[in-house]
Amino acid sequence: MSRKKNYAMVIDTRACVGCSACVYACKSENSVPEGFCRDWIEQKIQGSFPNLTMELRSNRCQHCEDAPCVTYCPTGSSHYAGDGTVQIDRDLCTGCKACLAACPYDARYIHPIGYADKCSFCQHRLKKGLQPACVTTCPTDALHLVDLNSNDGIFENLLEDRKTTQDIVHAGTGPKLFWLQ
Amino acid sequence: MTEFITNKVNPAVLPHLEIWGSDVAIYLFLGGLSGGLLVISAAMVLLQNGGIFNKNRPRENYSGMVQVASLLAPVLLGIGMLFLFLDLEFKLHVWRFYTNFNITSPMSWGSWLLILFFPFSALQALVVFKNYYQRAPKFQQLAAVMESQLDKIAFINVHVGLAIGVYTGILLSTFYARPLWSSPALGFLFLFSGLSSAAALLLLFAPREEKTFFSKMDMYLIALEGFAATLFILGGMTGIETAKEAMLLLLVGPYAPWFWVLFVLGGLIVPLLLETFEAIGKIKFTPLVPLLILVGGLSLRFIIVFAGQSVPTFS
Amino acid sequence: MAKVNRRQFIKISSAFLASSAAASQVFDWPFQVKNAIAEEFLTADRIVPTTCEICFWRCGVDAHVRDEKVYKLTGQANHPLSNGRLCPRGNGGQGLLYDPNRLRHPLIRVTVNGKPQFRKTSWDEALTLIAERFQQITEQYGTESVAMFSHGFGASFFKTLFSAYGIRTFSAPSYAQCRGPRTEAFKLTYGHAVGSPEAIDVANSKYLVLLGSHLGENMHNTAVQDFSKAISRGCKVVVVDPRYSTAASKAEHWLPIKPGTDLALLRSWIHILINEKIYDVEFIENNATGLEELWEGVKDATPEKTYALTGIPVEQIVAVGRDLGRYGSSALIHPGRHVTWYGDDTQRERAIAILNALLGNYQMPGGLIQQEKYSSYKPKFPVARNAGQQFKSRYPFASSVPANEIVEQTISADPYPVKSWFVYGTNLIHSLGDQRATMEAIQNLDFMVAVDVLPAEITGYADVVLPECTYLERYDDLDNRTYRIPYLAIRQPAVAPLYDSKPGHEIARLLSMKMGLPDLFEADIETYLDKQLKEMGSSLSELKKSGVLKKEESDLYRKEGEMLRFKTPSGKIELASQRLKDAGFDAVPQYYPPPENPPGYFRMLYGRAPMHTFGRTANNRVLGELMPENELWVNEIAGHDMKLKHGEYVYLVNQDQVKSRTRIKVRLTQRIRPDAVYLVHGFGHTDPRMEFAFRRGVSDADLVTKLSVDPIMGGTGMNNNFVTFSRT
Ligand SMILES: Nc1nc2c(c(=O)[nH]1)N[C@H]1C(S)=C(S)[C@@H](COP(=O)(O)OP(=O)(O)OC[C@H]3O[C@@H](n4cnc5c(=O)[nH]c(N)nc54)[C@H](O)[C@@H]3O)O[C@H]1N2
Ligand SMILES: Nc1nc2c(c(=O)[nH]1)N[C@H]1C(S)=C(S)[C@@H](COP(=O)(O)OP(=O)(O)OC[C@H]3O[C@@H](n4cnc5c(=O)[nH]c(N)nc54)[C@H](O)[C@@H]3O)O[C@H]1N2
Ligand code: SF4
Ligand code: SF4
Ligand code: SF4
Ligand code: SF4
Ligand code: SF4
Ligand SMILES: [Mo]
Repeated sequence: MSRKKNYAMVIDTRACVGCSACVYACKSENSVPEGFCRDWIEQKIQGSFPNLTMELRSNRCQHCEDAPCVTYCPTGSSHYAGDGTVQIDRDLCTGCKACLAACPYDARYIHPIGYADKCSFCQHRLKKGLQPACVTTCPTDALHLVDLNSNDGIFENLLEDRKTTQDIVHAGTGPKLFWLQ
Repeated sequence: MTEFITNKVNPAVLPHLEIWGSDVAIYLFLGGLSGGLLVISAAMVLLQNGGIFNKNRPRENYSGMVQVASLLAPVLLGIGMLFLFLDLEFKLHVWRFYTNFNITSPMSWGSWLLILFFPFSALQALVVFKNYYQRAPKFQQLAAVMESQLDKIAFINVHVGLAIGVYTGILLSTFYARPLWSSPALGFLFLFSGLSSAAALLLLFAPREEKTFFSKMDMYLIALEGFAATLFILGGMTGIETAKEAMLLLLVGPYAPWFWVLFVLGGLIVPLLLETFEAIGKIKFTPLVPLLILVGGLSLRFIIVFAGQSVPTFS
Repeated sequence: MAKVNRRQFIKISSAFLASSAAASQVFDWPFQVKNAIAEEFLTADRIVPTTCEICFWRCGVDAHVRDEKVYKLTGQANHPLSNGRLCPRGNGGQGLLYDPNRLRHPLIRVTVNGKPQFRKTSWDEALTLIAERFQQITEQYGTESVAMFSHGFGASFFKTLFSAYGIRTFSAPSYAQCRGPRTEAFKLTYGHAVGSPEAIDVANSKYLVLLGSHLGENMHNTAVQDFSKAISRGCKVVVVDPRYSTAASKAEHWLPIKPGTDLALLRSWIHILINEKIYDVEFIENNATGLEELWEGVKDATPEKTYALTGIPVEQIVAVGRDLGRYGSSALIHPGRHVTWYGDDTQRERAIAILNALLGNYQMPGGLIQQEKYSSYKPKFPVARNAGQQFKSRYPFASSVPANEIVEQTISADPYPVKSWFVYGTNLIHSLGDQRATMEAIQNLDFMVAVDVLPAEITGYADVVLPECTYLERYDDLDNRTYRIPYLAIRQPAVAPLYDSKPGHEIARLLSMKMGLPDLFEADIETYLDKQLKEMGSSLSELKKSGVLKKEESDLYRKEGEMLRFKTPSGKIELASQRLKDAGFDAVPQYYPPPENPPGYFRMLYGRAPMHTFGRTANNRVLGELMPENELWVNEIAGHDMKLKHGEYVYLVNQDQVKSRTRIKVRLTQRIRPDAVYLVHGFGHTDPRMEFAFRRGVSDADLVTKLSVDPIMGGTGMNNNFVTFSRT
């Protein structure tokens, strides 16, 4: 019997150049309509000329371990998929937007048809043994989908010698995006 | 210095959260108001002769105000739910609220509560209006049967009404990510606001002889509401940085004029003062008081709904 | 006397609502969500491996097609330029294919009631007209009076056709407006050019110095992949740039140099390497000439003096200089790509070439490397015997024709008149700088043809406009370029051409019939490609399936003790160039300061944004969504001094009081020196037929009225233009 998966993503902010290839790839892969996105780029510049630092990162849903979007979804549309991802069942979604209000990461949008939508870690690709679209296209190899339950050592290797941070941990949602500094 | 730039395209969250508008504010107001009406009417039914505390006395006719409140409660809630429905992005799937129950979701609780509200409040209305359909014996029979159970129905209704009132606040206050909303006092604030609005509405309709009663009730509720509002503000100001920031938006920021003038002054202080004067007979009862309270209650929902979304997501 | 504006730009009014980025109203996306629950992910009916042309890097893409629509583009896993990945632009290529403003029909310029207009026409009429007019013009003025401008892979068929017809003047803005100085400098130094894709081993560098080269914004797919590999492998990066570029944010040292003074800095590093004898002594002894002359030439370039010129602190100059010596052959000074900056560009590139030589990184891991072609086979085509004169450049080391010289000669008719232009896939209005000269030249033409996919500005001046189909709808020649992994790749149609557009090869073939060269092309492109592929030991059916064939990575590095021979007159690396000296230039690069800012003006710098390619993607709805316009970067403090507000829109006015046609949004930032402003090239389109791009942002080309021409090879430096702001 295969072990249960627990997918997470490790994002290398040193490699990322903030090009947005991941955003475009996601949009075509997941038919994300114009005016919305499932992933996005953030640029944080600190200091003053000429002593500056800049962090570039590609951000998306954190597939929280204790996801408020799931907690507050009245219909069970937002749910844990059992592979460590948080998914939305469009058939159950009423478009009430409780999940949007609940998400501390502002990761969701409302699809013009009416349902809530967000990064799915490209579950349909994972099922086929493919990597997510954004991971696949990233020219700098900044994005890594990992399985925390696997003992293949990939996650540990990525984190080795690198400072790792997570976003808004005090929200207590158990985010599963790990940022390599 | 920090420059933060993102190319996220998502009008629902950028530049700030924008998911709920007037529809939801009106729904929250009407929800609280009808909850209040149900609580007050059911309580009056329980307290009157023939009610649980006065079982031995024969039941009297139901007062006009009990009738008004019993009728308006489900009607206003129905209108409120219409607004809620208007806000749904996937209206075709509205029935999905009732194919599931998510125990951790206040909204799920809320939607089931709403379902409880209608049958029980309708039954109460059926009974208190029994004299109106003497020519429909079937109804009369039903009413008679129900009347024998009225205490139980009213008892349930008090709780359902309270629950709806609290729920309108809890709905927002459980969103930890939204600093302004995320306050335990919000449930009470909305509950007392709903109750005082309900009392005010009844005060508005009440015949002169009953006005004193509703006015006193209202003074009491306004005081409680003021107390809850104080807790709400204090909680925010002593809370985490973003909560404080959010509260400042209300107290001194762009929402301050609305908050202070419409809600605090217009909705609490002025009516309380006027009611005091009314109570000691300094002035005559004026419809201005209940109207001010109702406007105050409505604007509270608007202010909280909108201001809560215009603060940055907590980070 | 005012000239009659005979060749008036044709304006076609449009009903564009210039409000938001959303263009859905005018644009039917493939698979726009219509049903109640959208299909989240589509599965392809077929996946067609082909070659990207959103820029000139030519990555392998897989076009995913469903219901005869391309809905997704992904990187070909096997293609050495993509390695399964795509840059953002390649990802959004379907935005070009489905651009609602694409040219749909051949157009002919006609005059109705004194106003110029385009009339839809048939291919036959358009091509007949072109053949007739070319014949008239070449009979009257000689074949040399026709010039072809092109940029892009699809131009090859037209070059073949015109060569056979006798036309010999071919020019591309990728020479004198881009890589030309680099080419000539490396040829002068090493006897060969750096090439494209560049023959440099960035991925294995341990110490990389970037001058300008803003990798990460300059988004050549494999170049960025290599850059990130280097960083991940611990390469130390030094970025010299007046602006805190993306690359600078990855760097150990960011040297915010005073613009235009890079040559001084490079000379100082040469000085340090020689002075401290930390260069590769053995390599230079065996393989280079002119070290003494070089030392004489840079002796004065002390770090102290250099600080005064560049504003880079002495300690930093010295630290990097010594690091270079320490890292030696594993260090690389990136030769850059778009290097036409200040007119001293060949000499600056020479300094880079010399510095690399001193490091001894020639054909060493992390340095300059050797690349190969997949096949040496090249189809042969006839070249006309009665060909026109060869265009003679005034610049002694111009190995291609500088586009701006054609412009000049079109105006001056000296030594002979240029009367007709054939323009393929280049928007000269935006790419040549000095628009006034370009427009004036166009006024002097008798006939102009533009082949494009979009109604780019240049097409508005043409007599005949031919709509080519996009790269996703056509075959082109085989991509058999020099690269570290020799490869052979195909471009093939993923879907049939939309509208009445045609592939270039077909246009060229049809035109060849009209021009009296009926046997020039194979009747059918597939036969043509198949024949070539058979010569190379493959077949069309094989390549159609695989998209790319490749060989083992070639011998990138030199062997121990290997004797090197360079194709220079001395057979060695020429640290001092006798050829330059003979032509009256400095044998060793000397530094001459660039013009200073006029008071109140900022030097205008420009570059790339990762999601756009020049002006060609500005109308791309997919790519435009994340960046619909460019912004003007102004140093926050300098901006406050000028009373500029973040986010406000301003016009730019340059040193010659030329005002930008459009307005640009101000971005106050710490990321740039106070004496310069920066904007991304490719915006500020003024042809209303490009409805999305129309008047979004400012075109830097509007304001490049001064070209600083490189006297060595004719490169057009554009960075000596200065701007100030105007609210009205
Ligand atoms: N996304 C994207 N990528 C592209 C292209 C594109 O259109 N879009 N085009 C491709 C092509 S054809 C080319 S040629 C390349 C061009 O890309 P590069 O060769 O990287 O272009 P440059 O003009 O050298 O780089 C512009 C940078 O130089 C800096 N700069 C300006 N003046 C000076 C100076 O005086 N000194 C120094 N040290 N730096 C200076 C600017 O601030 C800016 O960061 O990009 C290629 N890649
Ligand atoms: N001011 C200024 N000038 C510059 C630069 C700058 O940064 N600033 N950069 C310089 C550099 S580095 C370069 S390389 C040049 C680039 O100069 P250009 O090559 O002129 O640049 P593009 O804007 O890409 O123009 C290409 C044209 O080809 C069209 N096109 C796209 N695809 C196809 C196709 O498949 N077939 C045909 N027939 N046409 C097609 C596009 O619609 C567009 O009109 O510009 C140089 N000039
Ligand atoms: S594609 Fe990769 S490098 Fe580009 S923004 Fe996304 S994560 Fe960063
Ligand atoms: S990031 Fe937001 S949407 Fe994603 S799982 Fe966490 S709470 Fe839910
Ligand atoms: S919008 Fe949909 S997914 Fe989100 S909480 Fe409501 S029903 Fe659940
Ligand atoms: S994992 Fe898939 S859905 Fe999530 S951002 Fe990447 S491409 Fe989009
Ligand atoms: S670098 Fe990008 S735009 Fe250029 S060919 Fe490759 S994928 Fe296409
Ligand atoms: Mo270029």
